[in-house]
Formats: sequence, C-alpha cells, structure tokens
Amino acid sequence: MTASTARLRSALAVAAFGLLMAAPSPAEAYIGPGAGFALITSFAVMFTTIIVAMVSLLAWPFRTLIRVIRHRQKTTPLVKRLIVVGFDGQDPRLTERLMREGKLPNFKRLQEMGCFHRLRTSFPSVSPVAWSCFSTGTNPGRHNIFDFLDRDPRTYLPRLSSTHIGSVDRFLKIGSYRIPLAKPALRLLRKSKPFWTVLGENNVWSTILRVPITFPPDKFYGAQLSAMCVPDLLGTQGTFMLFTTRPAADKFKEGGKRCALAGGPDRYQATLEGPENMFRAGNPPLQLPLVVEADRKAGRAAVRIGEQEVVLTPGELSDWVTLSFRVAPGIKVSGICRLQITELDEHLSLYVTPLNIDAEKPAMPISHPSYYATYLAKKIGPYATLGLAEDTWALNEKVTDDATFLEQTYDIDAEREAMFFAALDRLRKGCLVTVFDATDRIQHMFWRYLEEDHPAARGIENPEHANAIEELYLHNDELVGKVLGRLRDGDVLMVLSDHGFESFRRGVNLNAWLLEHGYLKLKQGSDGSSEWLRDVDWSQTRAYAVGLTGMFLNLKEREAHGIVAPGEEAAALKAELIAKLNGLRDEEEDEVGINELFDAAAIYNGPYMGNAPDLLVGYNAGYRVSWDCASGMVAGPVFEDNVKAWSGDHCLDPRLVPGIFFCSHAIDEDDPGLIDIAPTALQLFGIQPARHMEGRRLFDGSKEKFARTRAA
Amino acid sequence: MFGYTKVKLETSLVDRIRKIAEIAGYATAEEFITHALEKELAKLEDADSEDEVRKRLQGLGYIS
Repeated sequence: MTASTARLRSALAVAAFGLLMAAPSPAEAYIGPGAGFALITSFAVMFTTIIVAMVSLLAWPFRTLIRVIRHRQKTTPLVKRLIVVGFDGQDPRLTERLMREGKLPNFKRLQEMGCFHRLRTSFPSVSPVAWSCFSTGTNPGRHNIFDFLDRDPRTYLPRLSSTHIGSVDRFLKIGSYRIPLAKPALRLLRKSKPFWTVLGENNVWSTILRVPITFPPDKFYGAQLSAMCVPDLLGTQGTFMLFTTRPAADKFKEGGKRCALAGGPDRYQATLEGPENMFRAGNPPLQLPLVVEADRKAGRAAVRIGEQEVVLTPGELSDWVTLSFRVAPGIKVSGICRLQITELDEHLSLYVTPLNIDAEKPAMPISHPSYYATYLAKKIGPYATLGLAEDTWALNEKVTDDATFLEQTYDIDAEREAMFFAALDRLRKGCLVTVFDATDRIQHMFWRYLEEDHPAARGIENPEHANAIEELYLHNDELVGKVLGRLRDGDVLMVLSDHGFESFRRGVNLNAWLLEHGYLKLKQGSDGSSEWLRDVDWSQTRAYAVGLTGMFLNLKEREAHGIVAPGEEAAALKAELIAKLNGLRDEEEDEVGINELFDAAAIYNGPYMGNAPDLLVGYNAGYRVSWDCASGMVAGPVFEDNVKAWSGDHCLDPRLVPGIFFCSHAIDEDDPGLIDIAPTALQLFGIQPARHMEGRRLFDGSKEKFARTRAA
Repeated sequence: MFGYTKVKLETSLVDRIRKIAEIAGYATAEEFITHALEKELAKLEDADSEDEVRKRLQGLGYIS
C-alpha cells in the first residue's frame, strides 16, 4: 500500500469514526445461540442513537472538563505510555534456547535494556484464568474464572465459564413474523475490576485489543475489542462447513458440518445455513444458495454464495468473503468467512471457515465503544472476530492441512499487528495492551513435530512444517523489533505470556478413574459413552470431573443431586482423592501422569470460591485431561495416546508452564507473577494500589528510572 | 436500553455493604450487591438445555 493510499485510508477511517458517532446505527440485532436474533425496533434505535450522539457531541467539552477535574491525579505518573504485548503461550524454555542460539536478537535486546524473567502463571494455567488474573490482579476466587468450562450444579451440564448468553421468550406477532421484545441477556462472568477500568477512573486512557475474557466488552475510559469467547454467527465457538460430493460418511467426530453437494460434473449446488432466525416461529436457519462451477481442465472453480462470487484454485484460501442473510424486511445480518477448494478431481470439496461476526456491521457488541469494531474494520479491512479464530477443529478433522492452518493463523496475526500498530501510533499517553494468539494456536497444533516419537506424529516422515514453532518465535521476535523501533522516552514496554507450553502425549480420563475406583456410578444399562456425563447415576456418585483441570464433589445443598455432606465428609473425601491421585502412575508408559491434586480451598480466596472446582489437577508434563473426559464421556481407559494434531498444551501442573516476562526497565522484585501486572500498571501511572488487587507492584517507584527508554 | 437501572437502598445498608465488600475481596460495593442478587436468581431461573450447551461449546478447541 502506498503512503498516499494509507493516508487516504486513515482519513476515511477517522471520518467513518466520526460519522458513526453521529449517524444512527443499523438496527441492532443480537445473536443468541439457539435464540437467533432479538431486535430493538429500528426506529427506536435510530432515534435514540441520533439523540445520544448529538448530546454526546455537545456535552463532550464539559464532560472532559469534569473528568479532568474530578480525576485530577494526586500523584505524578511515572510513564507516559505503558505498552503490553502478550504472546499467548510463549514458552520460556524455547525462548531461552533460541536466545542462546542468537535467533531472537530483539528479545535479547529487550532483555539487555531491562530484564527477562519467567512469569508465574495462574492456577490452573488455562488462558481464561490466566488473562483474568492479569486483568484484575486477583486470584480466581476474586474474578470467578476457574477454567474454560464451568458446570451448572442444577444439571451437571458444562457451560462456558466466561460468558452467559440468554434467550428471548417474549415476542410480538406480526403476520408470519414475530418481533422479539427484548434482547437476549449477555453477561461477562469475569468479576472484579480490570486495571484498565481503574486507569480510566483516573483519567488514563487504555486501548485493550483482544485480551481474553472481555466479551461482552468492559465499559471504561478507553477502547476495547473483545476476544475469547466471542461466538461465530451461528452462536458456537467456531463451526466450519465442508461441502463435498464424497458420500455421506460418519459426521465429524468433533464438530464442523458436512453438507452434500448435489449435481455435477461441472455445476454443483447446496444451501449454506447461517444463524437461526428468531423472527420466524421454529427458528429456522437463515439460508443462502451455494453454487460451485468447476473447471477441472483449468484447475479452478467459481464459488457463488448468495451474491458473492470467488474463483479459486485447489488449496488457495480466499480473502474474507462477506455473506449477507436476510432476516426480515429491511433487516439483514452479515458474517465473513474464507473459502478453500480442498479437492477438485474425482470429488469436489469446499471448506468454509466458521462464519465470523462482521466487524463492519456487528450483530453483537464485540467492542467498546460499540462502533470501535467498525472503526477498526474501516481502518484495516475485515478481520477475524471469533474468539478462538484459528480453525483448529478443521485441522484436527483433517479437513484442512498444516499449510492452510498456518496461512489462516498468520493472516489473523497480521490483522492483529495492523490494529496494534494503528493504536500504538495514535497513543500519545496511556496504556495499550494487545494479545497475539498465534503462539498458542501453532504450538497446540505443531508440538507433535518437536518430538520424534509423539503419538500424533507417528507415520509422518519429514513433515514440511516441522519448524513451524521455531519460525513462529522468530516471527514474534520481528514484531518485538518493530515495537522497539517505535518506543519513546517515557514508555515502558512489557512483553509477556500467560503460560508456557508442554507436550500433550497422553490423555487422562479422570471420570474413568473415578468409575474404576467406585467414586462415580453409571446408570443401569448405560455404558458411559454418552457426552456430558449423561450416563452418570448422581444418586450414587461422590465425585466427577468437568472442564480441563477441575474435579467436583457431588455436594449436598450445592449440586442438584448431591450426596456428599459438606464439612467433615467432604473434607475426608478430598483428602482421600488427593492421597490416591497424587503421583498417579501411567503403568503403560512407566511415567507419573498426575503430579499433585490441589485443594481449591487452600489456594483460592474470595467471594466466588463457591463456584470453583473442589480439586485442581496438576498433570505431569506430557499429560492432560483426555478428549473423551473433556466432553463428559466416562467409558474407556484411564490413559490413552493423544493422536490428534492438537498435540501441545498447557492445562497441566502450572509450576511446569510459567510464561515469559520481558520489560524495557528492570523490575525490583524477584519471581514476578501474572497477578502482579495489574497493580504494576496502576503504579506506573501514579495510582494508589486498588484494594481488591493482590499482586505486588514490581517497581520501587523511583521516577528517574523511567525518564529514558533506552531503545538500544 | 442503556444497560443499567438505578435502585435506591438505605444509606445504612450501603455503608454495611461497603465495609463487608472490601473485606470479602470484591472490587466495589456494586459487585457485592450484584453477586448477592445473582446467587438468589440462580436458584429460581431455568437451566440451559443440553442442545443450547452443545451449540455454545461447539468449536472450542480445548475439548475436541
């Protein structure tokens, strides 16, 4: 892109930003998974938005003055800008080795400017927990996020721990349509108060880009783009589609939709199903016609979905394609996806990525302010909005291949980089935090190539992407170099990760172990192969596992069918389980599978402890909860090989997977932890420590240290 | 429409809440009040169906 084009694009983005502040938004339609859309009437939204925008514009000078007076800082900030770059999952051992080998010159430079430490992670070392500790400076007992998954004690079913999306049950019928009379409830379940909110209360601006567990977005003095677990347009965490002429086989084990392509040999058709339409009784899915015109001789195919057409060669991943679904007269919802012809020979197959919410016209609030997502789309173009955007399921299912996954991941990374530098270049004072997810996703999917005998790499000779992880770290190093080049005096730069990484070679089915040892019983006649613990006889079960690291006692007065009395009986059961599971051996491999179980009551404190698992499992390196156990199946062996592409993980003993912490200035404390970053951020802006935060301030508070930022 | 509704509480009650909230580890008195109300509501509200659960978790890479 030329400089003049870039300037024009920036000008258009700023103009769009301004217009969006004043202009009425399209009718706000919200997606509820299983709930379709709810709608405040278009007119009401338009009218209110215009009034609010006008009042905001007129009141802006007065509000700014009031904010400055009210939140006049009583202490002087130590820095002008705090820049935090998060590389989710970057591992210190790999980082240290590559630095020794001279392959990470910019990380090395940053270390020499300031410092490098291993960073203590959270208990458990799972991203939603870790980033919530980072954001709030508190332990999970105070921020309420204990895992990706929680369980509903009323039903024992799992649920996303970070977000609640409700349903709509009141409608106004108009002809064949029904108008929802309310929006589905949308709640962020992470509690406490993130440091950027405290900064905002003290008149310090923050831009928070894609920090996990910010959906729906926080409201504070600043801007935020939501991340984990923003759903796709279908309301799931990412459902890909495969349109194929191959005969119907078993459905994908894990997810994704297989859709038959009819017709041939040159023209095929199908229907692409989008989100459910709550404006119609029965919530039928919104649909678009899909046509593929194949030219096998030329080796390409034209794919038409609705009004969009793309011509592709096999293996080529398209740019983002915008699909628009007609919900009701005058109301549309749009999503974006990418397409790939995965085969064009005897059979034809078309891969469609999960339908991401279109940031230009978001169907859900994915940013604060609400128009910030649109502003970013105008500025950098379409971008992935899905919480876990990189399609690991399609690779696990072998629908896509390593090359496609890497291309998709690096493209998303490039989008992130663009929004990060756009924000950095505009930030004169304040805080900027951006999390890059590629490190986590690529290590999850390519760890198998780091070990010759990894079960997931058996039979793969000389894989083309054997160096994917090292290349990734080099890529991150380049980004660090670019950031160093933009540092000014008065800046502090932190580069950190929420946890490290380890191999995932063997899965542990804790529920199978509990069944074997009499702590869990199955219903009569069931074999334990159903998902979500549906085969469990709760009237005879004392303990069960849900999520990635948690075990729960089936407690009376807490669980719907609890049988374990709180108090002495529960304490004795915990002690018994700890004694039996500590050091659990995998006899087949002659290894320890579980290092230790941790009593949550001993490691957490705070008002949300009642939501915590009773016991946390610290798996040994190489081990993690099995796929079957994670989806609530009880049957099967306790230990089994992990043969999926998802071959590296961090949901194990947190002491084995610390993160990284680089800083442009040396800190004055040893053994820093993720929980220390929030209070330190406040310290750098001269703000007294927030009482709810438990972490330490990592600097001694002397101003002279921050006067210069030595970008060597 | 704007996300919040004002509720009036006796000053003495709010004073008690502020003291307890800080000791208990809440960031604000509002967080304490919200949590107390959510705990009561959870006893009365319906749980999600299995279909809704399956849909919301589909695609989460850590579990499949």
